[in-house]
Amino acid sequence: MKLRFRTLESRIVTLFLLLMLVVQLAGFFVIRSGIVRNEQASIRDQLALGTPLFQRLLEQRAGEKLSSARVLAKDFGFVKAVGTNDKETIESSLTNSRDRIKASRALLVGTNRQIIASTATQSSGNLEYSILQLVDKAEKATNADDGAEALSLLDNQPYQVLVVPVKAPILLGWVAMAFPLDQRIAKEMQELSSLDVTFLVSGKNGEWVAGASTLSEAEANSVAEQLRGVAPGATSEKTLRVAESDYSTEVRPLVAVPEQSAVIVFQRSIDVAIEPYLELQRNMMKITAVLILAAIVTSFLAAKRIASPLRDLTETAKRLGDGNYEGQIEIRREDEIGKLSRAFEIMRDGIAKREHEIRRLAYWDTLTDLPNRAQFAVRLDNAIRAARDRGGSCYVLMMDLDRFKNVNDVLGHNFGDALLQQVAVRLAKTVGEEYPIARLGGDEFAVLMPMTDLARAKTVAASILASLERPISLEEQTVDLGAGIGIAGFPGHGADAESLLSRAEVAMYAAKMSGNEAVMYDPVLDKTSQESLSLLSELRRALDQNEFRLFVQPKTMLDSGDFVGVEALVRWQHPEKGMIYPDHFIPFSEKTGFIRALTRWMLEQAAMLGRDLKAQGIEAKISVNLSARDLLDQNLPIKFGEILRRYDVVATSFCLEITESSIMDDPLRALATLEGLHAMGVELSIDDFGTGYSSLAYLKRLPVDELKIDKSFVMNMERDADDAKIVRSTIDLGHNMGLRVVAEGIESEAVWQILAKMGCDQAQGYFISRPIAASQLVAWIEHWVPPGRKAEALVNHG
Amino acid sequence: MKLTFSEYCRALFVLLLLESNLALADSLMITVTDSAGNPVPDAVVYAEAAAGQVLPKAALHPVEIEQRKRKFIPKVTVVQIGTEISFPNNDSVKHHVYSFSPAKVFDLPLYSGKTADPQLFDKQGTVVLGCNIHDQMIAYVQVVNTPYFVKTDVSGKGKLDNVLPGKYVLKAWYYSLPPNAQVVEQPIALIGGDSSAVFKLNIKLDAPAN
Repeated sequence: MKLRFRTLESRIVTLFLLLMLVVQLAGFFVIRSGIVRNEQASIRDQLALGTPLFQRLLEQRAGEKLSSARVLAKDFGFVKAVGTNDKETIESSLTNSRDRIKASRALLVGTNRQIIASTATQSSGNLEYSILQLVDKAEKATNADDGAEALSLLDNQPYQVLVVPVKAPILLGWVAMAFPLDQRIAKEMQELSSLDVTFLVSGKNGEWVAGASTLSEAEANSVAEQLRGVAPGATSEKTLRVAESDYSTEVRPLVAVPEQSAVIVFQRSIDVAIEPYLELQRNMMKITAVLILAAIVTSFLAAKRIASPLRDLTETAKRLGDGNYEGQIEIRREDEIGKLSRAFEIMRDGIAKREHEIRRLAYWDTLTDLPNRAQFAVRLDNAIRAARDRGGSCYVLMMDLDRFKNVNDVLGHNFGDALLQQVAVRLAKTVGEEYPIARLGGDEFAVLMPMTDLARAKTVAASILASLERPISLEEQTVDLGAGIGIAGFPGHGADAESLLSRAEVAMYAAKMSGNEAVMYDPVLDKTSQESLSLLSELRRALDQNEFRLFVQPKTMLDSGDFVGVEALVRWQHPEKGMIYPDHFIPFSEKTGFIRALTRWMLEQAAMLGRDLKAQGIEAKISVNLSARDLLDQNLPIKFGEILRRYDVVATSFCLEITESSIMDDPLRALATLEGLHAMGVELSIDDFGTGYSSLAYLKRLPVDELKIDKSFVMNMERDADDAKIVRSTIDLGHNMGLRVVAEGIESEAVWQILAKMGCDQAQGYFISRPIAASQLVAWIEHWVPPGRKAEALVNHG
Repeated sequence: MKLTFSEYCRALFVLLLLESNLALADSLMITVTDSAGNPVPDAVVYAEAAAGQVLPKAALHPVEIEQRKRKFIPKVTVVQIGTEISFPNNDSVKHHVYSFSPAKVFDLPLYSGKTADPQLFDKQGTVVLGCNIHDQMIAYVQVVNTPYFVKTDVSGKGKLDNVLPGKYVLKAWYYSLPPNAQVVEQPIALIGGDSSAVFKLNIKLDAPAN
């Protein structure tokens, strides 16, 4: 059998009990076998003692009876009666004494051995025989006055017989008395020896007749029956079964007279003899039961002492599992459990420490020692809850440094990190301890403003921006940092940390793009931001899936109206949203750097278009826009050179358009790139001219060939005299600098005519053509009719 | 050794030696021995008249058996019928002298000094005296029907004086002989002069006689 223990306690208790039981059982059997052996020996001893004991009992009784008989023998009256042969008196005196002494018979025997008087009317041969023998014996004794006693048989009953002399003062005769060995002496013997006593007298056919006995008559008869055949003179040890009980039995010869004999049977009931031992055994079993009970209690307590600290440890372990490291672990004990507890505590401390470290890593920014985004989100949530509970509002400011990537690229990451630390310090100093700040990642920081209003938020934002206006000095460099700050608040802009953070971020981007340095979130911003969220990945996918389309807008000469080239434009054929205009993804591409991949794509497409047009004999100059980031790429001339070679087109067929602002981010590097391109023979054009703040001196240094007047001036020049003046001045300026001047945004023939009169070189706009798919260009060229020749054309065709 | 009554009687057969039947009787020397030939003191020997013999009338003298040191003194007394015996108590304790012998039954309840009446012994036979208080006190009185009697001395000898010649039966008695034993006797004829008689009793003195 395999025992299954659910608890340590039950295992210990059961083990204890089994051990206990084994010990007790072993003891029980050892003691039991000892008892049986011991009792057998003890019964033998008791039986062996029976004979001498009975002998002593008989002697004692004989002594008493002799004394009593002597009293009679000495009685003066009795002696006188004997001496005077007063028979009547003698008999009466004998009867009196017999009754007093409790004898069954009393006689007076003369010196001539004749019975002078007797209390019995009938004589008994056996008795007389014994008496005469006794008289002889007494006479021969050294002191005949003592008398003599012996056993005899009378009427199938053993008797104790005694004689004492009657003297006056010489011997006159003998008083003889007979006492039966009756129930009384049997009982007396039993009381002394604990043995059952039965007297048996031999019957006619060698059988035994039961005499007095401590047993019942039936039992005594049964004993007599079972001992049939046992020789009268022999002693015998037998086990008899009497009245459902086993008796160890010893038969001893008692008396023999001619033709009859008697034996005494000693019996010891084995059951009765064993009874005290059985009682002992019962007591032992009781003690065992008590011991087992005690063992259960003690082992249970001991087990509890072992198991309960284990249970405590289990509880502690569960608490640890739940992340609760509180609570003292009991380690007073010096035993294994104490050691386990100690190990447990060490483990707990270790886990607590590590968790603290993990928590720190998880919730703290290691660079600036500020809370990180995760912790900030938690705190923000708390602040939102508090504001909701108190019916107030809270705000979050999100700040992103301008040009930090450039700093990192140019001055190295270590410098960038040090700079971020400085910014964190300055931020903390500005905001104070009232509002917790956090570094969300990269160059993004956030300020939590719990229980505050919008005005206060704006004030703090302004003070942060003001603090960043002072340049930061670091490693002998002075860095001029700007930042954009987005503001979002509960309950106005969101009800949870994530949405507030994302809205603050949207506002922040808006701020950076607009140049307005602290922007409050507005749902309008969100639309853009929603789109831009997954924009980058979508743009990448668009590039891979070939979703971008090359569009072109034709350019013509203003004087002749002849087609001269195209401005290459990009459209995004989105599989779900349909055609997407560049306004929606170009700024984002510029910001993320994706623009470089897009520019590369455009250059390839332009080169392909150039090759196709050349193949069809069409001569056209293709313009492609470059972003500020493209200008920072020093390798751009080389890359473009490779593309031109691949499509077997010449550089002079291409014009690259740049804006004033794109140059201004890093004028020196931009200039280097532009010079490289110019050296290849590529023409350069200043796009959106008039909107920037570029100095003419700088402009003069650029290797440009063309100016494109911003369409905002062109579109209004028909109604706004000032715009017309600017356009005219620009045309003049460009011409004076030896540059070709192109006007964008021509939407009517009237504008065309004005520009033509102003001497502008080339035209571009809806009036000429909307941007069209590159594939439609050839068809358009065939159908293009310049305005001056429209009438002619109508006439010609008409 | 177990003896029947008849065997006992036979063993008492006495050798009687007569030195002379015709001597002039004057005195008769008596010697009593036990079976081993040792002298027996305190034996009583008396001569009863044989048939036809007349005994002279002798004066009877009172006799004393005193009690001293819890003993009867003398232990053995022989008197002629009709003699009175007194029992002076010379002890400081009292005595209760009695006899249940058929020859003389009497009882002298506790007394001191000479306050007890003398008792007349008027029947022939052996009287055994005892004291009811002191079991060990015992005395014998042999009452004889003749004036010729003697008690042997320590040498087992005695002498009957002035015995008239004639025919007698000499009888010997000793207290340790069983009470109903036949008296040892021998006929004797005295013709004047000294003669002697020897009794050999079938007893053994070494054995304590009781």
